[in-house]
Amino acid sequence: MNNEKPGAFRRLWNVLKRPSAKYSFIAIAGVSFVAGIIFWGGFNTGMEMTNSLEFCVTCHEMRDNVYQEYKETIHYSNRSGVRAICSDCHVPKDWLHKIIRKSKASFEIWGKITGSIDTREKFEARRMTLATHEWERMKASNSRECRNCHSFEAMSPELQKQTPYRKHMKAREEGKTCIDCHKGIAHHLPKEYVEPDE
Amino acid sequence: MKLTACTARAATVACASLLLLSLPARAVDAEAAKSLARQNNCFKCHAVDKDKDGPSYKKVAEKFRGKANAEARLIEHITSGEKAKFPDGHEEEHKIVKTSPPKDMDQIRNLVDWILAQ
Repeated sequence: MNNEKPGAFRRLWNVLKRPSAKYSFIAIAGVSFVAGIIFWGGFNTGMEMTNSLEFCVTCHEMRDNVYQEYKETIHYSNRSGVRAICSDCHVPKDWLHKIIRKSKASFEIWGKITGSIDTREKFEARRMTLATHEWERMKASNSRECRNCHSFEAMSPELQKQTPYRKHMKAREEGKTCIDCHKGIAHHLPKEYVEPDE
Repeated sequence: MKLTACTARAATVACASLLLLSLPARAVDAEAAKSLARQNNCFKCHAVDKDKDGPSYKKVAEKFRGKANAEARLIEHITSGEKAKFPDGHEEEHKIVKTSPPKDMDQIRNLVDWILAQ
């Protein structure tokens, strides 16, 4: 006969799998439902907090580099008073793509720990690589985050200047996407970047 | 003999002065100029030696060659939003070139000098 006392995990597992004799199914379901809402709400609220401009610029890597450049652009300050913050362009809106992007972004914590861009020089040295990653992500999603606000259909031939309107309509016919032409609109272009047709 | 040496020295000084006078007041930083042009999407409508919607920079430089007010005229053209004429005849406001930090005239001047040097 084995008199050995089960370990802590085994005892916990035994408690968890034992049917409840004390609480009704409705009570357990009700408590689980409320707990689920609280957990889910808390999880999403926490995730949304990481989407704020304030959160992004808590890291000096962002605050001292791209944030300063972004503040000089039309996406930060414009005549109509609509501002696009970091997450509007860099984080998908829908939940599935957002959680995938957030999961990938968690690897950036490793970059923070190892100090991969913790000086201006290191940032400039890696700017082309980092920008290329983001351009490729935008290209792969058909500039999904740009299109949350912009669309070819909403461009007015009366209100948009003739030349950009013509170029936009040509781009639509050719199946081009925003990022094909609009690189470096909210940040400085990498020094290595060269326009295809200079 | 003495007079010849003196004349030669004077000629050297005169040549050096002429050379200095013929050079632009500032050395053009071509990379900085191209970088500013890329940042402002200038190459969407212009190229160095090819006409697009806008004339090539070589053509612009040719048009202004030898004109005293060339630099000032081009600065006005790219900073005031004045009308530019397009190949099909229509006119449209030229984009205002922006710098970082804003309104840095040294960067604008460097870009204009680079265009004029094509």
